[in-house]
Amino acid sequence: MAVTVEQVKEINPLVPIKAKVIKIVQETPDVKTFHITTMDDKKPFDPLPGQLGMLSLPAIGEAMFSVTNKGENHIEMAIKSVGKLTEALHEIEEGQEVGIRGPYGNGFPLDYFKGKDILFIGGGIGLAPVRSLIMECIRNRENYGKLSVVYGARSKADLCFKEDLFENWPKVPNMDVYVTIDREEEGWDGHVGFVPAYVEELAFNPQVTVLCGPPVMIKFTLPALQKMGFADQDIITTLEMRMKCGIGKCGRCNIGSCYVCLDGPVFTMEQLKKLPPEY
Amino acid sequence: MKIIAKERLPEVLQLLAKDYNVLVPAKFEGVTRFTPYSGDVELVLEENVLMPPKDIFFPQTEKMYKFKAKNKSLEIEELPVEKEEQLIFGIRSCDLKSLECLDQVFLTKGYVDHFYKDKRERTALIALSCVRPQEACFCHSMGVDPQNGVGADIQAYDLKEKIGFKAISEKGQEILEKISGLLAEEEVSIPSFGEFNLKADIEGVPEKLQGMFEHPIWADISRKCLNCGACTYVCPTCHCFDIDSEVRGEDGVKIRCWDSCMFGEYTQMAGGHNPRPTKKERVRNRFMHKLRYFPERYQMLLCTGCGRCVIKCPVNMDITAIIKKIKEAE
Amino acid sequence: MKEITLQMQELARELLQKGEVNVVLGWEKGTFWYLSPPAFIDKPEDVERLVFDDYCHHNLSKYLMDYRYQDGKVAVFLKGCDSRAFNILLEDNQLEREKYVLIGIPCPGMKDQEKAKELGINGDIPLAKKCQDCKYPNPLVYDYFLGDKEAADEAAATREAKAIDYSDVEQIEKMTPDEKYDFWSSQYERCIRCYACRNVCPACNCRECIFDQSRTGWIGKANNTSENQFFALTRAMHVAGRCIECGECERACPMNIPIMLLNKKLIKDINQLFGEYDAGVKVDGVLPLGHFDKNDPEEFM
Repeated sequence: MAVTVEQVKEINPLVPIKAKVIKIVQETPDVKTFHITTMDDKKPFDPLPGQLGMLSLPAIGEAMFSVTNKGENHIEMAIKSVGKLTEALHEIEEGQEVGIRGPYGNGFPLDYFKGKDILFIGGGIGLAPVRSLIMECIRNRENYGKLSVVYGARSKADLCFKEDLFENWPKVPNMDVYVTIDREEEGWDGHVGFVPAYVEELAFNPQVTVLCGPPVMIKFTLPALQKMGFADQDIITTLEMRMKCGIGKCGRCNIGSCYVCLDGPVFTMEQLKKLPPEY
Repeated sequence: MKIIAKERLPEVLQLLAKDYNVLVPAKFEGVTRFTPYSGDVELVLEENVLMPPKDIFFPQTEKMYKFKAKNKSLEIEELPVEKEEQLIFGIRSCDLKSLECLDQVFLTKGYVDHFYKDKRERTALIALSCVRPQEACFCHSMGVDPQNGVGADIQAYDLKEKIGFKAISEKGQEILEKISGLLAEEEVSIPSFGEFNLKADIEGVPEKLQGMFEHPIWADISRKCLNCGACTYVCPTCHCFDIDSEVRGEDGVKIRCWDSCMFGEYTQMAGGHNPRPTKKERVRNRFMHKLRYFPERYQMLLCTGCGRCVIKCPVNMDITAIIKKIKEAE
Repeated sequence: MKEITLQMQELARELLQKGEVNVVLGWEKGTFWYLSPPAFIDKPEDVERLVFDDYCHHNLSKYLMDYRYQDGKVAVFLKGCDSRAFNILLEDNQLEREKYVLIGIPCPGMKDQEKAKELGINGDIPLAKKCQDCKYPNPLVYDYFLGDKEAADEAAATREAKAIDYSDVEQIEKMTPDEKYDFWSSQYERCIRCYACRNVCPACNCRECIFDQSRTGWIGKANNTSENQFFALTRAMHVAGRCIECGECERACPMNIPIMLLNKKLIKDINQLFGEYDAGVKVDGVLPLGHFDKNDPEEFM
């Protein structure tokens, strides 16, 4: 699904191409979105929603990030500062040349979503991979049914993609956006509470659900969904693992016999139940 | 069969060395491994080499590409590819099977690893049959015939005082013709092999392991393990690798190097989460990978029965004993 | 040794049956007759697996660190060097004495596994290299003692080496710097950085080892002579002053690298610079590289 067979023969999949960062947007105190193009201002690759790319500052390191959106001539990656490479990425300025390779991973099963109502549930930076799918649904609005987004973060400052959440998405026809933060805060008059409880409160009908967030949020949201009668093959999540090669060869991102970089990162609950719980 | 007296083998190797970089099993600094042939190399033909031939195709440290990073600018440069034709003499059936496993990993499932493919394509293989099992060998239990390697260009037979050659592939036929001047045609019989000391009954083990992820057996067998990487590094089929950079000022090289699933840092994520935090999970993953995950994905076991891990593990973690425990477990 | 084996099994059975300990750490026969790897016995029925023979090289003290945070006690069999390892771990504050039931076994010296493989079961197999100059064959700390203590003390007094054999260290010391460099480069060219030496060493007990953190950049993951030597020298320096010369690192190394040469050199130097000192004999906080006194000489100040 990633590169075509002909392309595979030409490019060395482990060597990145040179690209540049044309824009950096500060989403929250520790999350920035990087807009990336090739040196001649084109998209480095054309990703499907949910696919990943390996971004590198070669002198420091290389890591896999999900593509949060794509434009006519660029791709976007929302990156949280948690380690050596991401801290360095947060220090760079617009115009920085970086290495990029991709697209990797299986992406969301768009055909399965066509014509259906979709519920998107995100927590913290977990909204990033799901956003690529939401943007795809909005771009081709007529192909999909009612869109609902439930998103929560620790605090108001930690909410990612504020412009989308509060300005752009509420304006989209037949789309509801529900935002919550963990604790009461001055200047916030929206919902307060954890995402799993909010989802139960909103009492959705069983429908296709895309869910991504910190392990603890997934742990509590899943039983809530199952209680509400959601089917296993309708609950879809995207996983994260330490990755190095990105092409299913170095062995470290495996869950059972699946490689998250190649057979994932998008998995249905049905598929995950068959795999050993090691993620 | 075409044969030559064993003591005249260096003549064959000398002749081949004119056209190929010939790699032979030899003792080097006290350790047996495949080394480039030269007149004073100490050939070792009575036992298998300790360091597996995987490092000829998948070196322990390999340079991938160069880069220059200064302030905002970055230059990436691919490294020139070696063109030299290689020939490995004396590769055993178990190690040939391991190359089959590595081919599955590096050459299939959508992406082709250029570094591995390049070396694999320009290397010819002359397999050597084994005369008797070493004490830790159990290749037969893993479906490998010690006297007939699969995937070689030429199968050489160790006939005690003589060595016989049989071409298998077209490339092998060409090589045989090059050295035919030194060989004589003779009727030979291949010596019988002998009983294996170690055996492993893997019938049904991949299937049985499917229900054994939470089984208490893993807590039991992992207690002894030191979590070093000795088994993974001497194993001919283990292929996990890491990618790192070596930087000097502005210039750097991106390298690929062996890594081991036994190390704690292997699956450590930047945010702090580690799906395999203790040695029980890591030991379980190693044996699951060998006996269940790899067969599920590629329809072949990831163990060829060479026995190197059994000999070299400092605390004698024995895969045949573990297979036995799995078979006997409830 | 058959006597000791029976006593081991008896005592283990007793401790497990009474519920005094949750698990007993000992040795059992391995894949080949010359291997006696560690055994973990949880049930009284399994004590028959325990054995004490000429190949019980493995130092069981290191495994005790895995039981630090679990409830209940653990019993462990300790030879002379193993008991010194236990003392090192106590000294490093890694273990609590009360959690462990120590069963001392006087050690006659273990035999060389490689030679055993060569000479066969009926051959005259020599002592392992690491056991030849052993100064403390009898356990120094124990709750139970198997065998006859008096006889063991006598045997030890006649057999025990008065000093470590430094002849191989001295041979290297005599080399010129170029020769030394060539020697060590050729040794460490074959190091595969498996870290078996580090993992088996009781003095290497840091929660997070410097070599496990490639993020920090202290050491790269590449395998080349330079990085390998850096690893070897750093490890030798980190354990200096706490090395009990058990020789497990050299035995565990799959590439037969003479690691003990480095450790013995450091022990020799420390004895010269700081006075004769044997690690793991006393637990009194007075380590040559971990303790200072205001009256220490300071020629360089």
